[in-house]
Amino acid sequence: MGIKINALKCTNCMACEMVCSYHRDDGFAFLSACIVAYRAREKKDYFGVLLKEEEVLIVARPEGLEINKIGEEADPDKKADASAKPMLLREGCDLCEDMDDYGPMCIAFCPVDAITLD
Amino acid sequence: MEYLSTDKILVIDLGTGDIEQDEIDEGLVQEKIGGIGMTTYLYEKYEKDEPIIIGTGLLSGTTYPSSASGQITAKSQVTGKLCHCPVIYKVGLEIKYSGFDYIVVKGKSDKPVYLWVHDGVADISDASGLWGKNVWESTDELRKFVGDDLLQTMIIGPAGEKGSNFAQVCFNHWSSPDRFGFGKVFGGKKLKGLAFRGMGMIEVAEPEDFVQRSLEILKDIKENSFLGNKGVGAMLGALKEDGMGDYLDPVTHRHSADYFTPYATNTALFLDEDPGLLPESKKDEPGILVSDIYALAAFKKLGLSVKDTGLALKACAKYGIDPFAVATLCGKTTLADITGSFDTIRGEVAIPGRGLFTSWCPVRPIFNDFGLSSEDETLAWWERRQAVAMIFGIQPMFALMCPEITENNLLELANLGTGLELSQDTLDAVVQHICG
Repeated sequence: MGIKINALKCTNCMACEMVCSYHRDDGFAFLSACIVAYRAREKKDYFGVLLKEEEVLIVARPEGLEINKIGEEADPDKKADASAKPMLLREGCDLCEDMDDYGPMCIAFCPVDAITLD
Repeated sequence: MEYLSTDKILVIDLGTGDIEQDEIDEGLVQEKIGGIGMTTYLYEKYEKDEPIIIGTGLLSGTTYPSSASGQITAKSQVTGKLCHCPVIYKVGLEIKYSGFDYIVVKGKSDKPVYLWVHDGVADISDASGLWGKNVWESTDELRKFVGDDLLQTMIIGPAGEKGSNFAQVCFNHWSSPDRFGFGKVFGGKKLKGLAFRGMGMIEVAEPEDFVQRSLEILKDIKENSFLGNKGVGAMLGALKEDGMGDYLDPVTHRHSADYFTPYATNTALFLDEDPGLLPESKKDEPGILVSDIYALAAFKKLGLSVKDTGLALKACAKYGIDPFAVATLCGKTTLADITGSFDTIRGEVAIPGRGLFTSWCPVRPIFNDFGLSSEDETLAWWERRQAVAMIFGIQPMFALMCPEITENNLLELANLGTGLELSQDTLDAVVQHICG
């Protein structure tokens, strides 16, 4: 069981990022979310979602899903954004196991149902 | 103020270079609530210094659906009135998380400056290298200088520097709801703009109840069928601007939303790129993000092709001029003539009602019937709806669509979030003071 992201449905509203961080911090912040609305290519209208799981980093791009095993050498042809969040230092997704009333918060709060349970 | 707040008001004097920070008194929140309730209070407090007040709503940047908006409050040199411009996209959010609920900018600088506001710190920085650059160049340069593509900006272009009555304060690269010529106010202070970035945290008095109620409200909103629509074309369709969907289809790329806003109020048009492209474009500037539905419709009415409409909107965003004013006042009908007319536009853009709120927002409901019958009733509803949205920090266009956003649940969440006891009487008094 895991999180499934439809990047084409995503409207880049950041709700997932906010509630994921709330799950970790019990306050409103964007500090420790393991799911992040990717929005660094604003002029190109290019956006998607990053999700860190225990062993992989999932990049849900409009053109498709990319799954990168954490620890493997990065593709030298792909340039990281200067603002890339230190996702790899954050805790991986635990499907909000302690949030009994909600299940995964990003799924519950996504206004456009772009995130579902696989 | 412990909850839903950074507890900080930043007071900057451009004339002396002094920067001060005030705490936010809980009693003041109990009296003024937040957003334009507070920015109006701060404007009155510092009025002799002709201030610009930048603020956030009491619920901005929380889990309350559509809590995206900040505000700019200033006296418009065009209308002579105190006006309130919503801060949209993700810029309003970033103000609060950069460490301040409110920013007072008073006085006038001798040389061009910008304000760099980040993680509870603010600096007045030299903008002589930015002065003369357009909005896109300025935002790009600031992001490059700071090394952060997520830096959020309020910025003016050549229109504001030259003192055009139609100069906008733009957000990042894009046109804004500013119909008040606030770009001219910035330019008159030699203020090129503000840059925001922060990783703050907002504490909540009753976090579990706040989040639970937020989700219940979101679920109610999602039951409403209007969320089956997306983007500016559908909004114009709902407002009976016929043919807009077909007009936009050939250049529509994707729709996007302001922070946590269930309806995607922004539409990206690709002008020299395949709009069906899914991978990242290799072109640096393939198009334009559109949020101003009336500017879009006005350029169409001039007889422009959709591509030329997009190019006109892009040119306005770069120059930092109100595209609706350009479209309705320029008297031109070709792209070259329109973009060549920016410095010569004269006339007036009508501001509805008491002239406090922007006509960027339609003066009527969108998609849903709010049970309004007469024009007078609709105008009164619109002004109150705009005031309430900008007190709490709700995306003002979404507030006109969504009946599930009520004064009752805004107050309920504000009380859960702050631990205060804000009442309907308090809200009525704040709205009365703002609207007169």
